[in-house]
Amino acid sequence: MNGQYAALIIALPLVSAFFVPVIKAISKKAVMPFLLLVTLAQVGIAGWVFNEVYTSDKPIIVMAGGWRPPVGINLYIGHFAALFVLIIAVISFFMAYFSIKAVKVEPLDKYAMLFLLLMLGATGMIATGDIFNLFVFMEITAITAYALTAYNKTGEAAEASMKYMILGGIGSSFFLIGIALIYGATGTLNMAQIAQLAGNINPTVAQVGLALLIFGLAVEAELFPLNAWAPDAYQAAPHPITVMFSAFVVKAGLYAAARLLYLMQAVSTWHSVLRLLVIMAVLTVVVAEFSALRQRDVKRMIAYSSISQVGMIAFALALGSQAGVDAGVFHMVNHAIVKALLFLGVGYVGIKLGGTTLEDFEGLGRRMPLTAFAITVGSLSAVGIPLFNIFWSKVRIMLAGVSAGYTWGVALILGASVVEAVYYLRLIHRIWFAGGGERLSESFALGAIMLFLVALILVIGFYPNYAWSLAQKAGADIFDVTRYVSNVPLMGVGA
Amino acid sequence: MVSVLKRSLAIITLLIIGYWIAQAFAGVPFGQDKMLVGQYYLNNVKAQTGAVNAVTAVVVNYRGFDTLGEVTVLFIASTGVGALLWKRKKERTARTEGSIVLTTGTRYLFPFVLIFGAYIFIHGHLTPGGGFPGGATIATGFLLLYMAFIVYEIPHKGFEVAEGLVGMGYVIVGLIGLMIGGYFLFDWIWQTWQLGTNNIGRLLSGGFIPVIYTIIGLKVGTELSGIIDNMIKEEVRE
Repeated sequence: MNGQYAALIIALPLVSAFFVPVIKAISKKAVMPFLLLVTLAQVGIAGWVFNEVYTSDKPIIVMAGGWRPPVGINLYIGHFAALFVLIIAVISFFMAYFSIKAVKVEPLDKYAMLFLLLMLGATGMIATGDIFNLFVFMEITAITAYALTAYNKTGEAAEASMKYMILGGIGSSFFLIGIALIYGATGTLNMAQIAQLAGNINPTVAQVGLALLIFGLAVEAELFPLNAWAPDAYQAAPHPITVMFSAFVVKAGLYAAARLLYLMQAVSTWHSVLRLLVIMAVLTVVVAEFSALRQRDVKRMIAYSSISQVGMIAFALALGSQAGVDAGVFHMVNHAIVKALLFLGVGYVGIKLGGTTLEDFEGLGRRMPLTAFAITVGSLSAVGIPLFNIFWSKVRIMLAGVSAGYTWGVALILGASVVEAVYYLRLIHRIWFAGGGERLSESFALGAIMLFLVALILVIGFYPNYAWSLAQKAGADIFDVTRYVSNVPLMGVGA
Repeated sequence: MVSVLKRSLAIITLLIIGYWIAQAFAGVPFGQDKMLVGQYYLNNVKAQTGAVNAVTAVVVNYRGFDTLGEVTVLFIASTGVGALLWKRKKERTARTEGSIVLTTGTRYLFPFVLIFGAYIFIHGHLTPGGGFPGGATIATGFLLLYMAFIVYEIPHKGFEVAEGLVGMGYVIVGLIGLMIGGYFLFDWIWQTWQLGTNNIGRLLSGGFIPVIYTIIGLKVGTELSGIIDNMIKEEVRE
């Protein structure tokens, strides 16, 4: 099949989201099954794209309107994008099913639309090859995320959404000013052409432009000091949406920041921006871990833990070395699996027991053994115990950090990881060794999803080589800018 | 005292950031010819898209993918408002009718407002304007009705379905391009069928631009009217 059909990863969720009002007019009950069906189809398309990219070893360049870049907009579905579009689709499919169980607040048709558009926005951010188009998809992601954060319509949710909206608005304006600076200096919006011309930009302009872009993305990527919205939003959002935030929305922001960073590496002031990002990343890890320790609510605690892991990924991506980027991408994959599992488990407990405070988890081992088992595996993996998947990516990040000369950063991150072990072991202790209660029935399908994720964690933990080779290919896709530029069929306007 | 210190610290930080950004803007050669891509558009716009209005050609044709995204952003805004202001039963609660000037004026002006809005989006490829301002004009017509009459309501179920259908229409136009021309959002009307090539500068030209702008106009019109409807009504208990 023609590679241009990869445009369906954008077209399908969009046309389906527009179709929801029509479905609702026919039958309200059909909305949620329709959502499940669409996400399943998206998994199929993403699987085909993934297979195509990894067997041919060449990226798919989708040219919208048939215009060659930089005149038109292109999508660049390379090894990274193919991998993550698949992850996004699979997690969305699971969460579409979880939504049927978990979301009871009306209006469900609007929920389904926003759900599809959140998936669309993250997919687009990862796939696009045009910096303004990136902004458009970032807006799509951000605005759906504001609406979904407030979806439960409680006071907390409204406050969280308001915070998110204000910070997100500031981030978007930063990003837009950054685009204006770079467009003013180069005359193009195409990422590959910007990479070609980056060396000729006035260094101050390039530094400020790049820093503004990174700051703008830092809101979505949950980097300190722009992540104050995240714990509130994670806690207040409906459970499936929290999973999506942690598993891929934040990844889209991180990826975009890393992509722009490496595209501009010809800029002479590049290393000062790297150093800024490393400092922000280390602060993110440390602050988030210590905040997590103080939480009494498990969902919020895991939200902080997720933020600290994200800081670790940002640290790896900002090292400026091939090893660092590979390790960062590997950690992205592992973190997506583990946090999807943890938030799914915690969300399910929240629905069954009506709350997610630490007390609700007492005796969970007896009341919901399957969910308790899944949460335990997820927690052990998050701490970085050997033979679980995160162990390998954490080790890679530490090694890359030391060899890039950031020993102080590695030391601080290791220290923070000890804190992480404390609060996760506290949770596990509560689950298995305190309290008790009646056994509750657990959903078979949700259990199957959890066991699938547990199996992934263990398989990657025992045989990390295949996942690591995927991550290396995806990392090279970000790091190797020369190949990125040569893969985009630029038509040589003005060059 | 502490707050004064805090405030002055904040102001100083802002000044430093402002100076830094101003420094960067001073380094951008504004006003100089930096038209890498822009010049290409100007040289080729008529032959490649059939539109006399180059801005429209860039917005709908060359960078049509962005516009599809922008339409989606507006759709999300209206969906978000719908989701957050959802109530089981909503009604209008206004008590005073508009003045006689407003009601009479609205009665006579309403059709003309709609016609003018349609004119703006249909002629998007020829004159300034297009789907977004045209749709906003149409929504203004409905806003006038809401302000003038206390019982007026748009048929919001129908509007919702129409909004969805025209949105699908946009994507389907893009998918037809994928099937005929091999590229998503390919302008098959102009480049494959070559309709209206002798007609540049008149209404029936510009390939799929008028089609897409009609879609956008209807979509923006129904969406903004829907937002007004959602915001103006209040919950009633049964």
